[in-house]
Amino acid sequence: MTNCFQLRWPTRSGLPPFAPVLSVGVVVALLAWSAPVAEVNAGHLYASIPRLIDFLRNILVMPDWKYLPQLGQKMLETLEMTFLATSIAAVISLPLSFLAARNTCPFPALFHGVRALLSLVRALPEMVWALVFVSAIGLGPLPGIMALAFVTVGFMTKFFAEAIEVVDQRAVEGVAAHGAGWLQVKIFAHLPQAWPDFIGAIMYILDHNLRGATLLGLVGAGGIGYDMIMSMRLFDYNRILVIAVAIYIVVTALDRVSDQFRARVI
Amino acid sequence: MKKISFHAVEKRYPNGFHALRGVSLEIEAGSFTVILGPSGAGKSTLLRLVNGLETPTAGHVAFGPTAPSRSSLRGIRSGIGMVFQQFNLVGRLSVMTNVLTGRLAHRSWLGSIFYLFRREDIAIAREALERVGLVDKAWERADRLSGGQQQRVGIARALAQRPQIILADEPVASLDPVSSDDVMQLLRGICDRDGITVLVNLHQVEHARRYADRVIGLNSGQVVFDGAPGQLDSISLNRIYHRDGAPHDELFSAALAYA
Amino acid sequence: MKMALMPKKPFNRAPIWIAAVLTVLWLIILHLDLSFQTLLYGYKDLFEYFGRYSSPDFSNLSRYLVLLWQTLAIAFWGTILALVAGVVLAPFAARNMTPNRVVYRIARELLNLMRALPDLLLALIFVASMGLGPLPGVLALGIHTAGFLGKFFAESLERVDRGVIEAIQATGASRTQVLMYGGWPSIQREFLGNSLYILERNVRMAAVLGLVGAGGIGLALNASLETFKFRESAALIIVILVPVLAFDNLSTWLREKLK
Repeated sequence: MTNCFQLRWPTRSGLPPFAPVLSVGVVVALLAWSAPVAEVNAGHLYASIPRLIDFLRNILVMPDWKYLPQLGQKMLETLEMTFLATSIAAVISLPLSFLAARNTCPFPALFHGVRALLSLVRALPEMVWALVFVSAIGLGPLPGIMALAFVTVGFMTKFFAEAIEVVDQRAVEGVAAHGAGWLQVKIFAHLPQAWPDFIGAIMYILDHNLRGATLLGLVGAGGIGYDMIMSMRLFDYNRILVIAVAIYIVVTALDRVSDQFRARVI
Repeated sequence: MKKISFHAVEKRYPNGFHALRGVSLEIEAGSFTVILGPSGAGKSTLLRLVNGLETPTAGHVAFGPTAPSRSSLRGIRSGIGMVFQQFNLVGRLSVMTNVLTGRLAHRSWLGSIFYLFRREDIAIAREALERVGLVDKAWERADRLSGGQQQRVGIARALAQRPQIILADEPVASLDPVSSDDVMQLLRGICDRDGITVLVNLHQVEHARRYADRVIGLNSGQVVFDGAPGQLDSISLNRIYHRDGAPHDELFSAALAYA
Repeated sequence: MKMALMPKKPFNRAPIWIAAVLTVLWLIILHLDLSFQTLLYGYKDLFEYFGRYSSPDFSNLSRYLVLLWQTLAIAFWGTILALVAGVVLAPFAARNMTPNRVVYRIARELLNLMRALPDLLLALIFVASMGLGPLPGVLALGIHTAGFLGKFFAESLERVDRGVIEAIQATGASRTQVLMYGGWPSIQREFLGNSLYILERNVRMAAVLGLVGAGGIGLALNASLETFKFRESAALIIVILVPVLAFDNLSTWLREKLK
């Protein structure tokens, strides 16, 4: 079947290539099928615009200056949670990643086991883990840190393991050929090569965890999240904007710092 | 057909490197000109000034009597085809689509966004592929071809533009000797048959001798030789490839003797 | 014959970094007044606590599955919204595709803003203006992850081989044509990888958004945990786990297939 119209696609038959058309078709079909469940309809959207504008106008009021010290403290707590949880996870992930990489794990069964466990840990969002830990040990930053650390180990080990797996085998052979022991090979051949990727992964995860940590307070696991939801629930408009701005500033600042750090170290 | 003229062009890069120091040349329409010179002599820069990939810091490039203005850059570029050392094809797209990118300047904005082409465009692309002998590979992914084949696709892309000028920036530097000859013969054939002005950067002196009408030697941003390939003797070669600080010893002369 | 002197060993900064990090960590632990002791000594209690999650209660499975379907729908719609917005914004935020520096800066800052505001906060705002339901969740996810996709795509576009971009520019193509023929086709693999990653991430976040009334299974989980219905919570967690793990495996498989 050839296209006999004026315009053609650059394929043998003149019709558009099969794979992209099929993918777009599948996506559109899924969207149509799930639209009612997700209650996506233009009418509802259009009707809510005035209310949205109203809301945005409400939050552009004089900020609550007395709140700033508490805000600062909560943001600091959020940062601290992030940093601590990520460090704990790094300490655990570094050795664990060697077991999760195909080329450094001594037993294949162990490799699959570790990978499956990591999949499981990663699968639940941090908030769900936070809910569980809050339920277990009570409110405060500690359950938040534990939840973050847990999930971070899942991601970090996977990133680290992937970095170890793409290491140049020739360098490994070179070190091993000179009589280095099992652990020495890991430290002198694999680690130096994977190191830049490790740093990149840590920076990315740090950024991701800060964003996650801002939410954990929602369930009582420490940080700014609690203030965020309380001010929304109580319509404390003069705090909402300050909280949003504070989060924006801190997240962006960390983003820039980690970009700079990455540029200089890698 | 207009001739290309360089009027005292200078090019200094932001990092201070003075690539061209006052070059004035006229390239006749329909001629086959080879530019020879050592690395860093300014050959690439000179070529890229013609289609605006570089702009001169002093002087200007003109086609015929008029000087190019900023707004017609796309128009000028559509009349000038370029062939690159690294081929610069879009690897993931088919050979045909790559050649068709030569027609983009003549396509409507909306149609080209959706990868739609007119029958004439596809016919022109097919003709170009026939010229370079690669019609049978039209639907293959460009990165599956060999180096020589990819460069011929690059030439087909330039041909599809129906250009008046073809610029070739070290087109054979990445190719083996046989493919290298094929490509040079193709370019020469295009010049002879279609009357397209061809301007080629090379460092293989042998190719210059065999294919050029005129050879221009560039060294440190200045023209040090301008004449027929038959006039390329050891003295002129020394002048072209002379490097400040490098000794003129037996190795240097031997290298040039075999050039 | 002069022997070159070996340069002095460069100052090893690693111990300083390590010491600094350890100090900061120590200060944090002090400041937060964390009682690791209760954790250590209370581990028996922890075991007993996690034991309560055994034998999950699936009696309400049909209701859970409906909520799960809603969660997946929210994630899917949100991701598509993010894709559209990301694809539109990314070229303006890519140094090699953007028309001028001002537009570049604005696009970059806009994407940063979208990324910095937590989707939960956006969901809260949208719930406050549109009422409870899944649509606020779709919008919150869409806007927040558009920031990520836009940045990823822009960075991928910036990494496209400069030569390939120049080759298409040299044919006289417009900026949009360069984007469609040289930009997007060259980053197909990264495009798919990033989109799948965000889809996965959104499935997880959609479960959480239910906590603030933006639809989905999160609300049910919160309710069951608050009322200490552990066996129900266990069932809900498993219901959440299954699609996320399935997605994880699906996207790994897809990525392998497309290499």
